[in-house]
Amino acid sequence: MQQKRLTKPMAIQLDSVAKKYGDHTVLNNVSLSVREGEVTAMIGPSGAGKSTLLRCINLLERPDTGCITVEGSQIDAGTNFTAKDLAALRRNVGMVFQSFNLFPHLNVLRNVSIAQERVLGRPRKDADARSMKLLERVGLADKAKQYPSRCSGGQQQRIAIARALALDPRVMLFDEPTSALDPEVGLEVLAVMKELAAEGMTMVVVTHEMQFARDVSDHLVVMANGSIIEEGDPEQIFTNPVQPRTREFLRAVLER
Amino acid sequence: MNILNDWPSFLPGLLAGLGVSVQVALLSLLIGIPGGLLLAIGAGSKKKPVRTLIIGIVEIGRGTPALVVLQIFYFGLPASGLTLSSMGASVVALAATTAAYTSEILRGGLQAVPQGEVEAAGALGMSRRDTLRFIVIPQGFRVAIPSLIGFAILIFQATSLAYTVALPELLSQAYSIGSTTFNYLSVLVLAGLMYAAITVPASWLTCRAEKRLARHL
Amino acid sequence: MTIGLTVAALGIGALGGIPLALCRRSTIPGISFIAVSLIEILRGIPPIVWLFIIYFGLGTALPMLDPLTSAIIGLGLISCAYMAEIYRGGLSAITRGQWEAGEALGMGRQSVLTFIIGPQVFRVSVPAAASYAIGLLKDSSVAYTIGVSEIVYFANDQSRQSSDALGPFFLAALVYVIMTIPCAWATRALDARLRQKVAR
Repeated sequence: MQQKRLTKPMAIQLDSVAKKYGDHTVLNNVSLSVREGEVTAMIGPSGAGKSTLLRCINLLERPDTGCITVEGSQIDAGTNFTAKDLAALRRNVGMVFQSFNLFPHLNVLRNVSIAQERVLGRPRKDADARSMKLLERVGLADKAKQYPSRCSGGQQQRIAIARALALDPRVMLFDEPTSALDPEVGLEVLAVMKELAAEGMTMVVVTHEMQFARDVSDHLVVMANGSIIEEGDPEQIFTNPVQPRTREFLRAVLER
Repeated sequence: MNILNDWPSFLPGLLAGLGVSVQVALLSLLIGIPGGLLLAIGAGSKKKPVRTLIIGIVEIGRGTPALVVLQIFYFGLPASGLTLSSMGASVVALAATTAAYTSEILRGGLQAVPQGEVEAAGALGMSRRDTLRFIVIPQGFRVAIPSLIGFAILIFQATSLAYTVALPELLSQAYSIGSTTFNYLSVLVLAGLMYAAITVPASWLTCRAEKRLARHL
Repeated sequence: MTIGLTVAALGIGALGGIPLALCRRSTIPGISFIAVSLIEILRGIPPIVWLFIIYFGLGTALPMLDPLTSAIIGLGLISCAYMAEIYRGGLSAITRGQWEAGEALGMGRQSVLTFIIGPQVFRVSVPAAASYAIGLLKDSSVAYTIGVSEIVYFANDQSRQSSDALGPFFLAALVYVIMTIPCAWATRALDARLRQKVAR
């Protein structure tokens, strides 16, 4: 397993990322690397800094210090970077949020198309065609002309995934994608994510879905108190955690 | 009873005045609301000096009574060489007042758009301008509509202040008719009712608009 | 003068608004309708028109109405309508539970109103009332049109007499702004504080 890791090229590299809110250290000089085509699951107790670290990858959170490299685009948080640098980095990253964040005043098709038109400059016809293909892929082509408020949570999240994929990102970030959904409904979304993983998309997923983390991810990262306390092969960590904190966390989670 | 008999004779003059009032109100809104939107966007700027300047302008605009603004533009300005007609001064003054007040209303509306959507737009790579144009403003403006209608009603009422700058609007007409017939009470009450005839249904409309909006969200 | 006028009008409004608000809530068919109509008409007609109606309209019949009195009556009546609406908002903001708790304790409607609901409505209404007060301060400027000697009157006077036409007005504007800005700050702070106590 470890051998396979070392041969693939690097998709994401976080070097010594640190962030403080006042006195509280949210991220404690964290470094992380994610290989192409790899699915990385991030687990850990609340407040560990998982979401914050994820959001640093596409700079929705600005770290105080540290270097972020995504598919060749590099941004050093210490220096002043331009909007252009930021746009270049974000072009390769797609993100799916816990609260979906669809645009309620636009219909589903427009939600998926608008960024294609404005960011990639695709003409409307092409953008809509691509959007329809993606909506078919997530099983929601029939909802194209409807408004998000008419869709269930699971449907909205799948639309959100389609919206992110429409920009052909090289990397997809998922911030607790199923936490706001009923367990049953969450399965629809996890199914789409599994398909994506099987197709070789580089994914980083912050999740509380331990089954998903165990079965689908190639690399598991456990965080607590702003640091990565353990990382490696998921099966290994789940059956035989090394760190006491990891053990504590897994026990609490798996005994529910 | 005598009072009511005179009303029909007052109508032509009063209606002409009402027309002027409505005209001034509409023009002020048409110029002022876009101005308010610009101020609202500016108030959310990331650069502190811009923010401070705009908040300063808005506070002064809101703190000064409309009457004083009218006087400044009509009486005060000629000294600096720029003379405005009473119509011009009224529209400029009320538009400025509109901009100052509506900027607060619109700022609230723009802020009401969930931050998560702004983040999603950013994550998708949309520029700040596109995010404003396609995501924030369409939704923010919609939220602000009931308050904006409420304000429009107030501006219409404020046109009565233009009496002091010789604009032949509704109140001026009423007063001049009153001074010729010496029957002030009758004509002023009629004029008052004409104002109410517009503002009261409009307020009711605002309530309806608010309820409709709450349903969609 | 401006401040005095504002305070007087606000006082009348705060007191007069209470019966008006109560009438509006009344279940007796005619009364509610009359109250609503009264409120709508008072708010629907511009303040300056009201002042004219009272001073020129009634004033010719009733000689004791000097400019100041007319202004106080006019602005006072309008304030009653606005305060009634503010109270209405405050009343509906207080949950039914308070009424029920009071009545369950055996208190009559009057007592519940006076001792339980009333004080809470007052507290809830303060921010809205404060911001109305600021508006009233500025509206008091219209009193100048019927001859009340307040700020705008002086400004106009100065402007006409001296060669500096613009200056006095800017000064007047500045005075109003200076009066209202601390009130606006205080309102914002008060609003924030009160909102804290009303947790979501």
